[in-house]
Amino acid sequence: MSDVNDTDMNDDGLSGEEDWGDEEFDAGLLEEELRQAAAVLDPVPAELQQIAVDAYALHDLDARVAELTFDSLVDALPVRGATDVPRMLTFRAGEVTVDVEVTARGLMGQVLPPQPARIEVLGGPRPGSPLTADDLGRFTGDVPLSGPFALRLRAGEDVVVTEWLRA
Amino acid sequence: MDRTDAGALVQAAADGDAGAWKALVEGLSPLVWSVVRAHRLSDADAHEVYQTAWFRFAQHLGRIREPGKAGAWLASTARHECLKVIRNSQRLTLTDDPRLLDRVSEDGTPEQSLLDSEEAAAQSERVRRLWQEFEELGERCRQLLRVLMATPPPSYQDVSAALGIAVGSIGPLRQRCLRRLRARLEARGAM
Repeated sequence: MSDVNDTDMNDDGLSGEEDWGDEEFDAGLLEEELRQAAAVLDPVPAELQQIAVDAYALHDLDARVAELTFDSLVDALPVRGATDVPRMLTFRAGEVTVDVEVTARGLMGQVLPPQPARIEVLGGPRPGSPLTADDLGRFTGDVPLSGPFALRLRAGEDVVVTEWLRA
Repeated sequence: MDRTDAGALVQAAADGDAGAWKALVEGLSPLVWSVVRAHRLSDADAHEVYQTAWFRFAQHLGRIREPGKAGAWLASTARHECLKVIRNSQRLTLTDDPRLLDRVSEDGTPEQSLLDSEEAAAQSERVRRLWQEFEELGERCRQLLRVLMATPPPSYQDVSAALGIAVGSIGPLRQRCLRRLRARLEARGAM
């Protein structure tokens, strides 16, 4: 932490556009002024910080976390001219894979290997809406997702929660 | 937040200590918020990215490989979510947010009532100018300074994770950006 306020003397190559030397200019002081200005003008909204405090409840020791291994926003090439392309996501926890397609109308997906499962859509303050995956592992939800969400799957004894994502 | 502190708090929170979690939130929340603000998202997107970072952090508690680097973990997660928002919307607004510039003249916060007293008026004007000049810096400098001004000051490792720039380039870039800001303030007779 303290290195932030050290005076940086290794400034070669950046000189020329401003005239004063380091001895006349206390960068740390100006940065501290900015810090105070930010605390007044752009602080963390209190209600937002409270949501982060409350997020401790999401710490779930019983569930395995299915990590995001594919996100079409990042991993797929954009389709030229296509609008309203569904967001394709793949999560993986061990041998269990969950493919999800998020559209404006809701979501559909499949659990692999194919198996029936109970699926809860977690999303901030909204109550989880339970979905059911059929024998082939397929499931659909017709409530549009917005904001941060995660899927909690219960298949037999196994509980898997997908990594939180922003829809 | 100190690495030793962060590591101990992450460990305690993972073991069930809600107070430790609260301390983590209080210590690292301004960093996460700064990262989000540095990327100039809309307020709604900013709030969602901030929440997503904390939800995921809570979810991964106890599985984080280097608990001492919790700040960098959060900063990096927030950055990646910001980049997704930008990529998804494809219309990053680069114009200044006038609401931020006007905020000093709004009522409400306790800090504001402090600023309202008459002897503080000059100071308030100075803060307003400082913020305005900061907002008008080039994008790279604005981003870096917005992250650096988190409370407590982030480590260079955290800043590196927040912005995807090499640790070694942060010091010189910081110096350069603060000089630029200083020059702008002097040009306006505000120093």
